[in-house]
Amino acid sequence: MPLHILGILVVGGIAGVAVLLHLLGLSRVRRFGDEAAARAAWAAEFPDIPANRAVLCRNRAAALIETPQGPGVVWPMGADSTARFLTGARIARSRDGLTIRLPDYTAPRIRLTLDPDEAEAWLTDLEKTA
Amino acid sequence: MSDQLTYPDVVQMAVPFFIAAILIELLWIVLKGRGGRYETRDALTSLIMGAGNVISGIVLGFIAYGFFMVLWDITPLDLGTAWYVVLLCFVLDDLRYYWVHRFGHRIRWVWASHVNHHSSQHYNLTTALRQTWTGTFTFMMIVRAPLILLGFHPAMVLFCGGLNLIYQFWIHTEAIGRMPRWIEAVMNTPSHHRVHHGRNPRYLDANYAGVFIIWDRMFGTFVPELDEEKPDYGLVRNLGTFNPIRVAFHEWVGIFRDATQPGLTWRQRLDYCIKPPGWSHDGSRDTSEAIKRKHLARNPQDAGTPGFPEGG
Ligand SMILES: [Zn+2]
Ligand SMILES: [Zn+2]
Repeated sequence: MPLHILGILVVGGIAGVAVLLHLLGLSRVRRFGDEAAARAAWAAEFPDIPANRAVLCRNRAAALIETPQGPGVVWPMGADSTARFLTGARIARSRDGLTIRLPDYTAPRIRLTLDPDEAEAWLTDLEKTA
Repeated sequence: MSDQLTYPDVVQMAVPFFIAAILIELLWIVLKGRGGRYETRDALTSLIMGAGNVISGIVLGFIAYGFFMVLWDITPLDLGTAWYVVLLCFVLDDLRYYWVHRFGHRIRWVWASHVNHHSSQHYNLTTALRQTWTGTFTFMMIVRAPLILLGFHPAMVLFCGGLNLIYQFWIHTEAIGRMPRWIEAVMNTPSHHRVHHGRNPRYLDANYAGVFIIWDRMFGTFVPELDEEKPDYGLVRNLGTFNPIRVAFHEWVGIFRDATQPGLTWRQRLDYCIKPPGWSHDGSRDTSEAIKRKHLARNPQDAGTPGFPEGG
């Protein structure tokens, strides 16, 4: 197959599928139903380290997790989620919440959407523990 | 002049079929409301990884091919191009695939390349295209050397490898439950390969097959999909990024950081490259064996069931 035809097919195919998925409403981000769901999402990544407490943010897109080994966070990855400890995290206010930067090549930046007062509370909370 | 032997580039030719099949699977899921899941950014990342794999093949393919042509010059054997030679080549190349894939999960240097195929938490036809960009750097082309030295022409071997890859496309789906018994017995199927993509302790390091599942049955790595335990797809520790560059290179970065940390012996530095994923010099991480052991400690009743060793 001539290379330029292959190129058009590949680029067109990728763009077409992505646009179609978006139009079908399949870009929706995961929301945690309750704190138990957030804790389960933590347990899926760290089965040995229990989540003593999960604090859901108001839009239920993420949760702070308290563990015996320090604080962590669960947050959505598309329709799914992942989790990390906040060891070495740099946390800063952003326009719509907080941005957490981790020294982790697989999770360099976590953007949390929080109300202003909520962002302030989370920041205070995290500065106490992280 | 079998030095001039050429076969069509079947993987490139299959691209329109890949796109059509993805659209059909998506339509099926949307209409039926079951049979799998799609998410935009996940699928986009998978497709970009697939395109990058094709580009990396065009850019770096000459290294493996050059190596194969050197072997072809050396070997006195030439099995010719009869159809049954191609068939035999396909079967033996699938055995080659089994071992490369098994190394891909058991040697971190090779895992660094293969990990990205497992980095999606979804399992649909786009996942099949989430292929490595860095395969050349694993040196796994060496495993093909015996085939060429035996007299299978390099072009034939690569043709069979391409067919193998195309076969594996259709099994990345949740839309198909089980195939007829005899197919499940001999061939790799959606059910068997779902197990391979599972991050459940039970399903780790199982079903390395490409086309024929018989290799797993022969070498003791076969685990059936259990109706009572749905595979949970992805990595033991799931990625926190969709960035294709990070998806492609994260484990290489991890190896580099681990092997260059201060205070290690040279043996430990080497072990960070060649031991199974999850190995660490201080035991601070878990290999798949440790994950299974810990699971059995929590769930002793699972000892001796598929995917777990006997207890005691
Ligand atoms: Zn694999
Ligand atoms: Zn696969």
